[in-house]
Amino acid sequence: MTEQIRYLTPGWRDEAEMRLKSELSPERMNFITSSMSNIYLDCPDGKDKYLFFRFEKGLFADLILGEGEPPDAEFRITGQYETFARISKAELGSQRALMTGKLKLKGNMIKALKLASIADRLNKVLSTIPAVY
Amino acid sequence: MTQNDPFFIDFPGRISRIQAEMAEAKIDVYLGSRLRTLSWTLDAFCPWRSFVVIPPEGIPTAFTFVIDAARVADDSWLDESHVFGFAPMGGQDQIELISDFIKDLLPGRRGRIGIESGMSNYLPEGNLTHYEYERFSAALPGCELVNAHTIIDKLSLIKDAGTINRFREASRIVDIGHQAVFDALKDGGYRGMTETGIAGLAAFAMRKAGSEWEWSFTGGNEIASGYRTGLTGGACTPASRREISAGEPLMVDIHAMFKLGLGDHSHNYLISPVTHRQWWHANNFLDIVRLTLKTYKAGITPSDLAEKMMGFADERGFSDYMVPGFEHGIGMMGDEWLIGLNDGPFPYWTNPEHVYQAGELLICAMQYACPEEGIGFRYENPVVIHPDRCEPLSVFPLTIDEI
Repeated sequence: MTEQIRYLTPGWRDEAEMRLKSELSPERMNFITSSMSNIYLDCPDGKDKYLFFRFEKGLFADLILGEGEPPDAEFRITGQYETFARISKAELGSQRALMTGKLKLKGNMIKALKLASIADRLNKVLSTIPAVY
Repeated sequence: MTQNDPFFIDFPGRISRIQAEMAEAKIDVYLGSRLRTLSWTLDAFCPWRSFVVIPPEGIPTAFTFVIDAARVADDSWLDESHVFGFAPMGGQDQIELISDFIKDLLPGRRGRIGIESGMSNYLPEGNLTHYEYERFSAALPGCELVNAHTIIDKLSLIKDAGTINRFREASRIVDIGHQAVFDALKDGGYRGMTETGIAGLAAFAMRKAGSEWEWSFTGGNEIASGYRTGLTGGACTPASRREISAGEPLMVDIHAMFKLGLGDHSHNYLISPVTHRQWWHANNFLDIVRLTLKTYKAGITPSDLAEKMMGFADERGFSDYMVPGFEHGIGMMGDEWLIGLNDGPFPYWTNPEHVYQAGELLICAMQYACPEEGIGFRYENPVVIHPDRCEPLSVFPLTIDEI
C-alpha cells in the first residue's frame, strides 16, 4: 500500500516537485516562463500558507511552500484550504472554482487563458499524490 | 505607426497631457468609461463595456470583456500587459479587478479617483452607471470619486493632424460609397431597390475601400425614401424595407470608419418625374447648405449661425421646413454628442454660445422636412474649422441629383 503524505507539508512539496518534474516536460508546459502563488486560507493548523510555482522556459525553477506573504508572482490565486484540497483530490475543477468565486485570481486574464490548460495538467499531476487532507 | 504616417497620433503624449491635468485637479487615478475616452486614449474600438485606468504617471491600462481583450490589445498601442479582460470569475469581475488594480496604484490605497458621469442623448456614451458608481465606491474605501470628464473633453476639443487625416480618409471612403449608390440608381437602376438594399450596397463599396464599419448607432447607413425623408423634425432614419419609387425624394446618409475617424455624409436624390414644387424645396435646401458652409469659421457660435440661417430661410419662405439645428459634435468613435464643453445653460447639451476655434471638428448637420408634402433632405459632413472658413471633408458634389 502506498504511503500517504499529509497535504501541504514539506514531504508533500518534495513529492509534488518530483512528480511535476518527471511528468511534465518543458514541451508539455509549452516552454512557458511564468509564476503563480496559490494562497491557502484557513489551513487545518489555523494558518494561511502559500505554494509558489515558478517556471523557466517550461522547466520547474521553484516550488516553495511557506507561510505569510508569498513571493511576487504573475498570478496569485487565493482560496480556502478546503477548496484547494478538493481541487487536488479532483473533486472540484479549478475553472468551476473560479467561476463560482471559490477561488480568486489576481493577474492578467488574457495571459491566464493561455495558461489554463497547463494549470489543469499541473493540478492533474498533484491530484495523483496519495495525500491525507 | 511612425510619426511620418499621416494617421499617426501621439497617444503617449495624450496620456501625459491628461496626467498633467489630473495633477492640476488633484486626481490620483482617472477611471474612464466613456466610449469617446476609450477611443481617444487607447486607439482601439471597444464595443463591449470597457474602462481605462490612467495612473498619475506612466502607461494606462485598459479593461474590457475577456472575449475581446486580446483583440483590443492587438489593435491598441498598449502592450498585452496593459490590457486586462474581465469575466465572472473570482477576482476577475470588472469591479473587483479594477478596484484592486486602482488600490495598488494608490499610496496607502487611498486617493481621489476621477470618473465619468453625466448624461447624453447618445446611447453608447458610456458614463459610469449608478450601479457601477456604488460598487466602485464600496470597493474603494477611503477613496473619493469625483466627476472629471472635462479633462478629456477639453484636451480632445482641438483635433491633431493625425485625427483630421483619419476623418479625411473616412470621408474619402464615404464618397466612394456615394458614387456606388449613384451608379446603382442611375438609368432606372433604382427600380426594385429598397432602402436596406441601398444601405447594403453603400456598405459593400465602403468596406471594399477599407471602412471598418458603418459606425452610426442609428442603424448604420440611414436611407429614407418618399414620406420618410420629411418626417416632422426628423433627422434619424434607419433604412427600412421600403421600395424606391418614381416621383419621390431619396435621402442617402452613409457612414464609414477609418482608424476610429468617422465619415458621415448625406446626399439627396429626386426620382423622376420631379415637380416644380419638389425642385423649389430642393433648391431651398441646397442654397441654405451652401450658405451655412460659407458661414462656418472660427469665432462664430452655434446660435450666431442658427440665427443667420433661420433668417435666410425665413426671407425665402421655407423656415417652417428647417429643423433649427445645424451641427453636432464629433470626435474619434464614441464622441458624437455635444460640441465643446459641458458649459451651456442646459447640462450635457451643446452650449449655443460656444465660440468655435480653429482646429475643431464638427458635423455640419442640416435637415429640411416638409411632412405635409412628404419631402425632405439631409446634409451631413464633417467640417474642420479654420480661422476664416470651414473645410468640408467629404467632397462628393453638393447637388440633388435627378434620377
